[in-house]
Amino acid sequence: MSVATASEVFDVIVVGAGPAGSTAALLCARAGLKVLLLERGEYPGAKNVSGAAFYGSAILNELIPNWWEQAPVERYICRRDIAFMSSTTSVALDFHCAAEGYTTPPYNGFIVLRPRFDRWLAAQAEAAGAFLLTSAVVDDVLRENGRVVGVRVRREQGEIRGKVVIACDGVNSFLAKKVGLQREFHAHELSLGVKEVLGLDPAIIEDRFRLSGDEGIAYEYLGAITEDVHGGAFLYTNRDSLSLGVIGQVSSLVERRKRPYELLERFKAHPAVAPLVRGAKLREYSAHLIPESGWTMKPTLYTDGMLVAGDAAGFCLAAGLYLEGMNYAMQSGLAAAETAIDACRRERYSARALSGYRKHLKQRNVSTDFRAYRHAPAFVNSARLQNLYPEVVASGMEQLFRVDGSAKRKILPLARQLMRQYQLKPGELLRDGYQVVRAYLW
Amino acid sequence: MHIAVCLKHVPDPSTVEVDPLTGLLAEDRVLYMLNPADESALELALRLRPANGTVTALSVGPIEADALLREALAAGVERAARVWDAELGPLKPALTSILLAATLRVIGLPDLVLCGGHSADRGSGTVPALLAEQLDWPAVTDVTRFEITEGRALAQRRLARGARAESEVQLPAVLGLDTERIRLRQASLPKLMQAQHAPIPLYSLEALDLSPQDLHFPAMTLHEVMPPRPRARIMFAPDATASAQERVAQILSAGIAGKSGQKVEGGTPEQQADAIIDFLRQHGFLEQRIAS
Repeated sequence: MSVATASEVFDVIVVGAGPAGSTAALLCARAGLKVLLLERGEYPGAKNVSGAAFYGSAILNELIPNWWEQAPVERYICRRDIAFMSSTTSVALDFHCAAEGYTTPPYNGFIVLRPRFDRWLAAQAEAAGAFLLTSAVVDDVLRENGRVVGVRVRREQGEIRGKVVIACDGVNSFLAKKVGLQREFHAHELSLGVKEVLGLDPAIIEDRFRLSGDEGIAYEYLGAITEDVHGGAFLYTNRDSLSLGVIGQVSSLVERRKRPYELLERFKAHPAVAPLVRGAKLREYSAHLIPESGWTMKPTLYTDGMLVAGDAAGFCLAAGLYLEGMNYAMQSGLAAAETAIDACRRERYSARALSGYRKHLKQRNVSTDFRAYRHAPAFVNSARLQNLYPEVVASGMEQLFRVDGSAKRKILPLARQLMRQYQLKPGELLRDGYQVVRAYLW
Repeated sequence: MHIAVCLKHVPDPSTVEVDPLTGLLAEDRVLYMLNPADESALELALRLRPANGTVTALSVGPIEADALLREALAAGVERAARVWDAELGPLKPALTSILLAATLRVIGLPDLVLCGGHSADRGSGTVPALLAEQLDWPAVTDVTRFEITEGRALAQRRLARGARAESEVQLPAVLGLDTERIRLRQASLPKLMQAQHAPIPLYSLEALDLSPQDLHFPAMTLHEVMPPRPRARIMFAPDATASAQERVAQILSAGIAGKSGQKVEGGTPEQQADAIIDFLRQHGFLEQRIAS
């Protein structure tokens, strides 16, 4: 832990002590830089919300070997369940994996509770030597000759200087907007997630979800769960609680005049979900914006004296199969830290000197992943995939399995009938098929 | 003028939750904050401080209390001190006042001690008076406003039913404040950073030269805590043998007719007393003696 005063010039100022900011600060501090980590909440994690399935275990393991032994984690994820829903039916893909790396260290993913996890992570950065300051809201950057040379905290004499500023201030990044790296988002690029944490006895969780010990399951739902709003829902098992929530695209929530908490109530009442949450008692309620459009909303990620990482840079992969944010936040935080360390070593802080960020993002597979899946978010958020196909699949299965004495139909005639019923045209199907191929296959 | 302010860390009510599974208080989720009344006292002390004066913040409590002493340092107090010892059991007002008085003697007696009148968790409101007793100083409690002039404090006290009393005491004195909530000023960034890792001296029993016997406070023992309950009153009940209409009339007229009364005049004192007893019996204020 370092002692610092406001008059000195820091090597790196990291704004926001979430997964991106804390890992960036941790790495910079370990490299011997003088790091200031600013957090607006009373403690790191006080303002942070996510579904909190964390798939970045291996990444964090590089930094803090066997981190899960000391960190507040809930359960490791060895099962995932992706369900297509109509209002009465659910067709699910159940993935259960006991392979090495899933149920053994370093584990593939963990379910965490953000207020506790983020607090722990920031404490690691602090232990590495970063100066953590909470209750510090950053309003603006300091500029000299067009270069970013520090930040202004919303307090008396709040100006503080740093050679490199790393903005990890979340989805609605004021800093990135102030320096013109990020534009205002469109409503269709953002989703609103509302989440509840429901307390439930660990023994009941293990029985109900067929888990043993520290195993956990992540459910993701598509289809009628959000009515005609584009979005989905999730349910994760914590140690003695469930995290569940509904995510809805902001523009369609507005257009359809739907309130997110109504969708959440509907979700909890769905016949496939109600038995899972039976008897659970509400502990927390929270909501947050999610940057969902991936590559297309990606800002320019650096300018003279400043880098952008995490949600502020739009690094949240919401592409149907994947719902990942924290791991990319950490990866981009590390990439930003590596860039800042390089810059400090060479004592050059211009945009040119920071352009190595692109290379580091590529090495850490952040930009490559987002580029590869750049078509997925638009496709995932299309009305047809969101609402029509889950309905068709669910109702197809319903008819396939129904035994009522009438003649059994083979799949092809059934498919024809479904296409007629839902007015699907072969051309559209082909086009969507192509979209899937383009979004996911190569 | 040197001012000392006593601060207490109390659970933040917004984080106090009952675990729905166990029905017990979820203690690991509780966050602590500066007691609101003490926050007002601290801000008033800072406003009151003359150019050459100092403000010292004191707190009795475990390591968590350092956070609020840092808050006080960031807001501008000159000194902070925490009192704690592993030997200490649950804090009672008497114990707290002994510790505070001992600490003030060790670090230097101030001219004025300001305390929040009531804590948000326990709220007995006795520490200011007990502390004054320990220091053998005058105390004014339930202070809604006060002025300091020429070594005297003129304080307005809150009495029942909106009444106010003015007291004047010679300094040094202890004031227990019952003002409206006054928010602590926002710390400047340099002060906040400075306070973040400022060392906060810790006074143990040994440093205060206290032994466990000194902490015994025989003059006051807490026997029981009970919620206040209004005394039972006899309600007027209409005569059950009367018709419904009459009963309604009795109820409606009760307030007025009940007060009309009747005078007992003439006769010997014994007869007058009998008349009063008869009246009370008739109206159900006295139980009928069962004839033996």
